[in-house]
Amino acid sequence: MPRNSNNSTKRKMDLGEDVSSMFGKRSKTNSNSTVNRSRTKGMEEAPTSFNQKKCIAWFRQYSTPNNADTIGPEGVEAFCRDLNVEPENIALLVLSWKMGAKQMGFFTLQEWLLGLTDLQCDSLAKLQGKLNYLHSLLLDSSNFKSIYRYAFDFSRDKDQRSLDVETAKAMLGLLLGRQWSLLNSFFQFLDQSRYRVLNKDQWCNVLEFSRAVDVDLKNYDVDGAWPVMLDEFVEWLKVTRGESNIQ
Amino acid sequence: MMKGGLGGGSKKEGKMRIRAFPMTMDERYVENIWSLLKSAIQEIQKKNNSGLSFEELYRNAYTMVLHKHGERLYNGLREVVTHHLESKVRQDVLASLNNNFLQTLNQAWNDHQTSMVMIRDILMYMDRVYVQQNNVDNVYNLGLIIFRDQVVRYGGIRDHLRHILLEMVVRERKGEVADKLSVRAACQMLMVLGIDSRAVYEEDFERPFLSQSAEFYRSESQRFLGENSASVYIKKVEARINEESERAKHYLDESTEQRIVAVVEEELIQKHMKTIVEMENSGVVHMLKCQKTDDLHCMYKLLGRVSDGLRTMASCVSAHLREEGKALVNVDESGANALNFVQSLLDLKDRYDTFLVKSFVNDPIFKKMISSDFEYFLNLNLKSPEYLSLFIDDKLKKGVKGMTEQDIELVLDKTMVLFRFLQEKDIFERYYKQHLAKRLLLNKSVSDDSEKNMISKLKTECGCQFTSKLEGMFKDMSISNMLMEDFKNHIQTSGTSLCGVDLSVRVLTTGFWPTQSPATCTLPLAPRNAFEVFRRFYLAKHSGRQLTLQPGLGSADLSAIFYGPRREESELKEKSDGPSSSTSSTSANGPRKHIISVSTYQMCILMLFNTRDRLTYDDIMNETDIPKKDLDRALQSLAMGKPTQRVLVKSPKGKDILPSSIFAVNDSFTSKLHRVKIQTVAAKGESEPERKETRSKVDEDRKHEIEAAIVRIMKARKTMQHNVLVSEVTEQLKSRFLPSPVIIKKRIEGLIEREYLARTPEDRKVYTYVA
Repeated sequence: MPRNSNNSTKRKMDLGEDVSSMFGKRSKTNSNSTVNRSRTKGMEEAPTSFNQKKCIAWFRQYSTPNNADTIGPEGVEAFCRDLNVEPENIALLVLSWKMGAKQMGFFTLQEWLLGLTDLQCDSLAKLQGKLNYLHSLLLDSSNFKSIYRYAFDFSRDKDQRSLDVETAKAMLGLLLGRQWSLLNSFFQFLDQSRYRVLNKDQWCNVLEFSRAVDVDLKNYDVDGAWPVMLDEFVEWLKVTRGESNIQ
Repeated sequence: MMKGGLGGGSKKEGKMRIRAFPMTMDERYVENIWSLLKSAIQEIQKKNNSGLSFEELYRNAYTMVLHKHGERLYNGLREVVTHHLESKVRQDVLASLNNNFLQTLNQAWNDHQTSMVMIRDILMYMDRVYVQQNNVDNVYNLGLIIFRDQVVRYGGIRDHLRHILLEMVVRERKGEVADKLSVRAACQMLMVLGIDSRAVYEEDFERPFLSQSAEFYRSESQRFLGENSASVYIKKVEARINEESERAKHYLDESTEQRIVAVVEEELIQKHMKTIVEMENSGVVHMLKCQKTDDLHCMYKLLGRVSDGLRTMASCVSAHLREEGKALVNVDESGANALNFVQSLLDLKDRYDTFLVKSFVNDPIFKKMISSDFEYFLNLNLKSPEYLSLFIDDKLKKGVKGMTEQDIELVLDKTMVLFRFLQEKDIFERYYKQHLAKRLLLNKSVSDDSEKNMISKLKTECGCQFTSKLEGMFKDMSISNMLMEDFKNHIQTSGTSLCGVDLSVRVLTTGFWPTQSPATCTLPLAPRNAFEVFRRFYLAKHSGRQLTLQPGLGSADLSAIFYGPRREESELKEKSDGPSSSTSSTSANGPRKHIISVSTYQMCILMLFNTRDRLTYDDIMNETDIPKKDLDRALQSLAMGKPTQRVLVKSPKGKDILPSSIFAVNDSFTSKLHRVKIQTVAAKGESEPERKETRSKVDEDRKHEIEAAIVRIMKARKTMQHNVLVSEVTEQLKSRFLPSPVIIKKRIEGLIEREYLARTPEDRKVYTYVA
């Protein structure tokens, strides 16, 4: 389960650089890190065209013993290790999005093929080479929105309609941690509120809110059809800042 | 006019000799004509016109004009008139400055008019030809202008005229005598002198008059206010207005009436209306308190004259009404009595309706204000809907004293007026259903007709949705009657035994009747078996239905025999006066038979004593399974009511019912009546926990109603902006209750979550219906 990553001081591209520095290629900083547990040796492979069979075989390296068409949580963990990516890294979320993966911690063969075919990767090395690209997708605002919305369904419990507030906070931290300065205030608000879950509408509106409303809340439109939760957040924030007399 | 077409000279030819008209006149001739005319005019001015020949003068003037000497004639006229007015008339008037001024001036004016008429007549040809052609003032008007400039507006005269006229007015206002006719004549003169406008009158008299009047009334107002009585003030104002009006109409010029009245209105009413309206101990509030409809009407008329006058009065009335209303409505919990509450509000409405008709002549401003005030304070008390229902309940029950059917009809109509002001009509509906159910089931309605009447009144106000369930309740009652007929036949034909129970069942459709908290109790054997017979009978007819017995709503008649000695003989003697309606056993010591009318719960309790002599509270509870609240109420009525009701005895004596209290049959039970009805301790209105429960049920219902409204609207319109949707929903529901925008928003979110609605991708403030 992804934890709330505190990446505010790291640059966005640091993962790609870390990985590439490991291979000694295109490194901008001299890193002394020599840990190299990847299964493929640190050689850039000669570009080969995408081979579906190879991709499937690669899938099978991680799939569960009793179901060859699914990779379970352990497999995902191993996959991440091999890829040299922490499970809570946002690149993984983007990858899952590309795959259309339904449930966090699981990949079906179909999903795997869908995503990796699109990325044209049939091996670890190729995928590692694409990690930068995956990060870059976040920079496009409509992609980001799509990934953000996807994150809700991806991380929720499938027999619930809503996302429990702890998981929500973790995902919000991952996605909005660096771009919304009110995020921490929002977390505090949630903690002291009676909200135990977020529904999809609330989730989507948090993104809109983070993009539309200024930190000083001056342009917050009371008639803006914001979910009641966000109205309450604004009220709470104003009270906390001492700007409001309404208790 | 003949043209001298043939030029000068004459033709000595033939029979006809046309003498050419002399075209030129020599100067002397003209001079002569003019002198003639001049002296004639002067004679006229001296009033010596009797010796003059009109025809000759006219002809001479005509001649002058014809020969193109119109200008000379005109100028000459002007000179003569000016000279006369200047040197003679003006001097005369000036001389009279301190002595008969007005009369002198008026006389001069009249003389002038007279002579000018004559002069004009003589010079008529000049008027028609020369004046027209040269676009100058005609003779008469010329005379007016000269008179105006040389006499009336001549320095000293002008000032003095004004002074005298204003002084006359002052005197009159004080009540002194003044020469009204002269004043009128002078005013008319000024009007005429304006020729085609009233400018002279206005400048020379009216303007100073109005300004002086304003000052006068300014101080008058202070004098009036000093009386410290609003009703005195308004009467005085009314009197002054009438006075000024009359004066203007008869002694000044009519056109001044409007203006002077406006001045009075401004100084006496407009500037002080707030003070008057709010005057302590005599203003509007005082008038309302003391029912002074006439004074209020007088004030209404007066304030209606100025802009915002009525609004000032209305807001004062409104504030007071709200005070009165709030006082009535904020009765505290313990003292609250539904009947008094509603009756006092009806009385208040009657009072103000009287004011509306008698004092405010049904003015829509006041009507609207009264309605909005009632709406305001009626809804301050959250129990108003319940109280209203209880009031109506009281009027529809049997045994309403001192009111004919028409009286009741009237009262119910007035109650409907109050109902209209309720904001939480859905709460009223809930209570009305409860109370109606009790009336129907306990057979307490005074008549089906009056019930149905009331329902149709509600239908007119609120539509069918409101009343369809109520009507369903009536239907159930009549269906149940028919059902009992069938059942009786069935019993007879099938010979089934009902264990000696005369059973009467009413079947209620669950959706129509108020939901009861599910209650069970252990029925005694006989009624239980009897009911089983019915149940089988019913379900045979209507398979697929479920019947649940509602012990809280039923009643029973028990035949009882008391073996003990009667209560004190003497006690009894005091109470029996007049013919006794009892048919109880007359023997003093024999067993007494009675029929006891009780509730189902009480039946269960009493029948236990057929097999046992005494039972503790706990015993009874265990054996009957009656819920504690109902058990307590039932036992209280049986054991702790009036002596004529005490079928059971409780020991130890005291007000409390404890689990250890022991109950036994009251063998000494005695009553004059053969049939004894056990009154249940009446619950007037709900208790607090019951009320809370009702409220939470209402809130639940409201959630559904709001969601239904949202879905209905969105289904029809497909997409809608948030604010528009909120206001549409509010509009649709306002006849039932007033939902707040926040609550509506929460319901919208709920519907989004359940995927009935969605936000449009382009604009998150616009919703779309998800088919």
